[in-house]
Amino acid sequence: MSVLKDLLRDGKFRLGFIIICIILFLGILSFFSPYDPTRWNVVPRDLPPSLQHILGTNSQGQDVFWQLTFAIRNSLTIAIIAASFSRIIAIIVGLIAGYRGGRVDRVLMGINDSFLVLPLLPILILISSLIKGRLSFVTLGLILSAFGWSWDARVIRSQILSLRERDFTYTAILSGSKTMSLVFKEYFPFVIPIVFSTLINNMSWAIGMEITLAILGLTNLEIPTLGTMLQWALSYQAMLLGLWWWLFTPVITSVFLFVSLYLLSVSISEYLDPRTRIQRIRVIKE
Amino acid sequence: MLRRYLIPRFLQYLLVIFVGVTIVFFVPRLTPVDPVQQMISTIMKMGTYLDPKAVEQMTESLKELYGLKGSLFEQYLAFWQRLFKGDFGPSLFRFPIPVIKLIGDSLPWTVGLLTVSTFLSWIIGNILGGIVGFYYEKRWARVIESIAMFIRPIPYYVFALIILVVFAYLLKWFPLGGGMPIGVRPSFSITFILELFRYAFLPLLSMVVLGVAVTLQTMRLIVSNIVKEDFVVYARAGGVKKRLIAFKYVIRNAMLPQVTNLALSMGQIFSGALITEIVFSYPGMGTLLYNAIATGDFNLIMGIATLSIIGISTFILFIDLLYPLFDPRVRYR
Amino acid sequence: MKKKLFFVSLILLIFVSFSQVSFSQLAPNVVRSETLIANILTGRVVSPDNFNVWTTAWRTPDRGIQQLMLEPLWIVDPATGKVINALAATAPQYSKDFKSLTIKLRAGCYWSDGVEITADDLIYHIELAKSNSAMAYHASFQEVDKITKIDKYTVKIDLKEPNARFHTYFLDRWGACRPLPKHIFEKQKDPVSFNFNPPVSSGPYVLHSYDPGGYWVLWQRREDWQRTPTGKLFGRPQPKYVLFYYAGPTEKQVLALNNNQLDMADLTMEGLRSVLQTNKYARAYMKDYPYIVNVDPCITGIYFNTAKAPYNNKEVRWALTLAIDIVEYLATAFDGAATMGSLLVPPTPAYTKWYYEPLESWLKNFTITVDGQKFKVFDPDAPMRLAEYARKRGYNVPNDPKTIRQIFGIGWFKYAPDVAEKLLIKNGFKRDKDGKWLLPDGKPWKMTILAHTNPAHPDFRNGFAASQQWKKFGIDVEVVTTEQRPTLLQNGDFDACSDWPATEPWGGHPDLYRTFNSWRSEYVRPIGEITFGHPSRWSSKAMDKIIEQLANTDWNSVKVRTLGMEGLKIAFSEMAGIPTCSYPGIACYNEYYWTNYPTQENAYCIPYHHWPNFKYMLPFLKPTGRK
Repeated sequence: MSVLKDLLRDGKFRLGFIIICIILFLGILSFFSPYDPTRWNVVPRDLPPSLQHILGTNSQGQDVFWQLTFAIRNSLTIAIIAASFSRIIAIIVGLIAGYRGGRVDRVLMGINDSFLVLPLLPILILISSLIKGRLSFVTLGLILSAFGWSWDARVIRSQILSLRERDFTYTAILSGSKTMSLVFKEYFPFVIPIVFSTLINNMSWAIGMEITLAILGLTNLEIPTLGTMLQWALSYQAMLLGLWWWLFTPVITSVFLFVSLYLLSVSISEYLDPRTRIQRIRVIKE
Repeated sequence: MLRRYLIPRFLQYLLVIFVGVTIVFFVPRLTPVDPVQQMISTIMKMGTYLDPKAVEQMTESLKELYGLKGSLFEQYLAFWQRLFKGDFGPSLFRFPIPVIKLIGDSLPWTVGLLTVSTFLSWIIGNILGGIVGFYYEKRWARVIESIAMFIRPIPYYVFALIILVVFAYLLKWFPLGGGMPIGVRPSFSITFILELFRYAFLPLLSMVVLGVAVTLQTMRLIVSNIVKEDFVVYARAGGVKKRLIAFKYVIRNAMLPQVTNLALSMGQIFSGALITEIVFSYPGMGTLLYNAIATGDFNLIMGIATLSIIGISTFILFIDLLYPLFDPRVRYR
Repeated sequence: MKKKLFFVSLILLIFVSFSQVSFSQLAPNVVRSETLIANILTGRVVSPDNFNVWTTAWRTPDRGIQQLMLEPLWIVDPATGKVINALAATAPQYSKDFKSLTIKLRAGCYWSDGVEITADDLIYHIELAKSNSAMAYHASFQEVDKITKIDKYTVKIDLKEPNARFHTYFLDRWGACRPLPKHIFEKQKDPVSFNFNPPVSSGPYVLHSYDPGGYWVLWQRREDWQRTPTGKLFGRPQPKYVLFYYAGPTEKQVLALNNNQLDMADLTMEGLRSVLQTNKYARAYMKDYPYIVNVDPCITGIYFNTAKAPYNNKEVRWALTLAIDIVEYLATAFDGAATMGSLLVPPTPAYTKWYYEPLESWLKNFTITVDGQKFKVFDPDAPMRLAEYARKRGYNVPNDPKTIRQIFGIGWFKYAPDVAEKLLIKNGFKRDKDGKWLLPDGKPWKMTILAHTNPAHPDFRNGFAASQQWKKFGIDVEVVTTEQRPTLLQNGDFDACSDWPATEPWGGHPDLYRTFNSWRSEYVRPIGEITFGHPSRWSSKAMDKIIEQLANTDWNSVKVRTLGMEGLKIAFSEMAGIPTCSYPGIACYNEYYWTNYPTQENAYCIPYHHWPNFKYMLPFLKPTGRK
């Protein structure tokens, strides 16, 4: 709790935290939706925002606000599945390869690079056609995580490589630290900012990929996500017909989602970095 | 050094290509798609009348023409044999045009567009990111950062569409789509080259703006971390000039991961920029590949994927070999 | 800083000055007001330098090749319901036993390089295709036994087996065997890899230039347009140039239409509404709602895999049909803008006259038996209900019932979920406590509908509309859009599909042989093997008989229509597939530079720019003189 209190002292964190809380709240609201998100013609079509329909209705006869709550829930699930699984793989591979070097490094980087050199979008398109378009959002998250780790593993490894050559490593080895504890004690703090920065990268990448696949019509269009919402709005020409509430709802939501995640992670990584932490406390004391 | 580092590294390079190409060979063949059926159905769907009896015969002869007879393993061997001769075979959906010709038609557009956009966004993004990270306490740095923060998450399709509507539809400064002016035969005249640039401008703009935002964010994070490190703090305390610190210590250290990123994005070029091509109706590899997947054109998929895989792994190899130049602390092991 | 500013403004100035050029002047010497611009329907041309469309491969024929460059022997026009003799001078003459036919070519037609089109071209073409397996129609021409030249313009073809429809290989609708120039092809070592560039035309236009990126092809009117069938039949095509230009997805076609950079496009309802709001020069085939092209000769709807339980049961198919409220269905799919059809032929004016009107009383009296009671399935009021819906949406719909029936069709199946329920219960289906249907074996009823991947395609909309109807009825339906659909369908790996429920007929001719022939029982293969007939795998002995009789009837004889009606009745009562509406094509015209396009008031030609009939539309267009 005191961590949260510390963090909340940072303006960036406060802003990000408030936005993410609102978005999460919207996602939770989906459990109380009066409408089934897969049914059409439940409300009159093409109504602009009003008291009855806060964000208006779309050309399919659905309430945009309640569609949005489902979309947030599903998109967040995809992003969280994709990002957390791929982070775990990336940290393990990056740390080990970077620290151990030599043969281990080459084997790991060999696997890593094989994943990296696969042309990603075509492979995703192929895979989504392999499962005949029945791409549920959980499978989508898992597939994205399987392809989302290799880039960051390399970034982490290259960071470790340059850290490894520094003096404190030698000092630590000379003073007899064990490998694992060395890796985690000495390197982890340096890797954490990268992990967080790649976590946002990865989450936004996952949502971005989901949107791309949805726009290409390759995900299950009946499951509302930010991507499929956008796809329906675009294919019903919401932009040209002036149904701005339908098109901009998913766009603005995804922008705010990422802004808040970005703010949170920047702030958290600064907090985790011991030197800035001292600085901040000092500032506060002054 | 040669024996201990270069040879194993080169073997690894070959292995990566082999594994990657093999995966791409088998994945499309595991999907239920049958290129012969896709072809026949396209012709018939459009209204051509074929008697069902004739379709049966046609199926057989097309299979033979497409080289789809024989077991998967035989086809796989035949693929490698052809590949060593530098031949990707004929396109199936557009039989008998060689795959290499179709790629050759589309590749120049894609390479032109993506090389420029990748480099531009990398350079601008790193410079801006470096400055913003170095002066992270300044107000203007924060403004730049927040602009990037808000632009980056806009779904690319929407972002590109808005750019198109504003500059091509409302202002009419740029063409709505295409790669070159209508009714003109390609030449090396200055007007033609200027026109090419005018047609490429909006796709380029949309990609560079988003690319800059991404690079800026990563660079800013890396730099702001380095700035707080001891050696920079000492250097500052020791009265070293700020500009010198920025270039000698900070930027140099931050470049290492960014160079890797550049290599990777350069390699992605071969598979094209699908959405850009769709929105701006720009010719290139993206739509070519997408069509190939949709129609089950195995040879074309393989051709593009193989090129792409070789491209990326070569870039990675180069970067690995060049690493010590950027960061002298890393030596070949 | 000043330098930079100067530089930037210079660049902008260059761009702006360039863009000024491109409005009145499309290209050097190509004036916009003399040019008609049409969208390429099937998208970017992947091999833009290849004009050889006579092989078994996709060459994007709708970039002007079939519309402007080539003339067929015969061509069907669905708008007028007539067959036009183009390169052929007369209809084909068959021998009594249908074992040979004589084709007479029109004299005085020339290739664009000055060589006359004669019997030699046709003979050479058929023989080439017969001997080379990579040429299109290779398999079909195996039927040819002998081919003889009677005189310079007459060819006699002897067939191995009797075939009263052999000439339909040369009958153009959206693809046919169109004669190729012998004097060019005989010089080629390999006619298959030959790219035929620059092409030689039999049609009224020649290639001017093309985009190596594949987004446009510019065609120029021939100086000797009089020496083409188009010129001889209809006179001078008006536009001096025709540009085929792929503008991109629908939203971009809309933008191009609004900017007057596009004259003809095939849009979606939403796209059209947006153009009509912005561009006062735009109009659709119909002046007012529902705007659609009512002469498109395809019937859309849903069909089932009749080799798979429970869809192999006719009563289940009937139940699913009666569970559809057609008004809600068409509202979901097309905002009500469609002509409903209950028979498995498209309800175009021509087919309505040939089949719907004669069969109307039969339809009204048709009953199915449920729980020992007769139930009349036909609902002649459905069009009125649809008109009511459209009025509520604020569209301007006429009140005269006759006009309404012309626009929305003569009727459809009743919406009778209660009858559907009885039919299902009779066959062992049950509802669970949430009202969801269970299969006779007690498992939940799950159905997938394979739909088209393009959201602008009526097939896509049909799939989602059907899914909504059956979800409401209590079935767990999922719509799957995948590019692999053709393979899945032919292999029988599906439940239902929103593709055409019956193969389309010739389009402008009462003969239904083409529709029925794909239901022949001999083409049906078990699931897992590729079927060559209709993917629904439906067949019936009675239908086989009709097909057999039709095959031995001259296609112009009166008997063709009686047999057609018999066949349609069988398909209707067996519920071979659910027809919903005719293809609601949306042809959008921009009348800024050109007028007198074919419209509902003046339906002289099928209104699509992507059909090969396009060349016969061009002589009727009128320039407006706007710059």
